Amino acid sequence: MGGDEQSDYFTIFSMPARLVIDLPALEKSFYALSRRLHPDRFAARPADEQAAALAESSRLNDAYRTLKDPIARTAYLLKLEGVEMEEQSSSATAAARATGSSKKQIVPEDLLEEAFELNMQLEEMRMAKQMGEDDPQLRKDLLAAKSSFDAKMAAAQAELEALWTRWDAALDADDATAKAAARDAMVALLNRRSYLRNLVRDVNDALEA
Amino acid sequence: MAYSDKVLSHYEHPRNVGTLDKSSESVGTGLVGAPECGDVMRLQIRVNPETQVIEDAKFKTFGCGSAIASSSLATEWVKGKTVSEALTISNTDIVKELALPPVKIHCSVLAEDAIRAAIGDWKKKNGVAEEAGVAVAASA
Ligand code: FES
Repeated sequence: MGGDEQSDYFTIFSMPARLVIDLPALEKSFYALSRRLHPDRFAARPADEQAAALAESSRLNDAYRTLKDPIARTAYLLKLEGVEMEEQSSSATAAARATGSSKKQIVPEDLLEEAFELNMQLEEMRMAKQMGEDDPQLRKDLLAAKSSFDAKMAAAQAELEALWTRWDAALDADDATAKAAARDAMVALLNRRSYLRNLVRDVNDALEA
Repeated sequence: MAYSDKVLSHYEHPRNVGTLDKSSESVGTGLVGAPECGDVMRLQIRVNPETQVIEDAKFKTFGCGSAIASSSLATEWVKGKTVSEALTISNTDIVKELALPPVKIHCSVLAEDAIRAAIGDWKKKNGVAEEAGVAVAASA
């Protein structure tokens, strides 16, 4: 991406940069655009036109895949809004270094504790397994953890959808302050979600192993 | 992904993995996470109350090889340093030492965050103001 003049994914589908989107309409428009770019239509065209159509169609695919997925769509919009998640984290560290303080963690302390504790448990379970033991209590704990994380993921999803509505309303009202507030809340939520996603993944792996 | 030899050495033989007594007055604990990937790291230090020298350091990291290597290196580096010296360690030092590629920079950031958090915790426990140490370090 960067400095090139390509239109953004929303514009490709002639949609405003809103987060609550009409998925069936997106799909329809994707198929219509794809047909227009289909290689068969360009079979008799000069090579450079064929190449251009191919490039456009691969970008179209990226755009569709990104906008269709709720998390990818949110992350993409945040990027359009100039939020660089990684950059944010390392500049917070640089700021902490400059003042000699500790960095303010962007995720709640208790989630970190939970992630850490769970990983300790998983490690214990893997070790026990290697020695040929299977601790039923540990398994029970893991199942309990799994349902707690699944519930948290679902809650995060609901929260995200509420933020979409807030964002869209702020966008429609052209309210910069409200937009910034919704944007920051989405960044915080996506950050929190990346831990939850790992926890769910690790617990599932452990239960299937 | 290809890891550098130094990363591999720390990854395969991590130094100072383990736990210090969290409830001890002289122990500072830092628990930090990298939101980019959801990895978590705990780093602990034991500080001599008289000299403010970090006499022991332990870590436990659930994350990628670079994060493990970064935290292993971080514990080696802080040992023997005073608290304010340790605060000058920056993630770019770690990147250089381990020859981390750009996509792995956040893993070294995590290790720096962990050092800061552990020192911050120790300071809080011992009633040392967060800013005070810095002013000294900055003017030194
Ligand atoms: S990828 Fe997460 S700390 Fe390295």
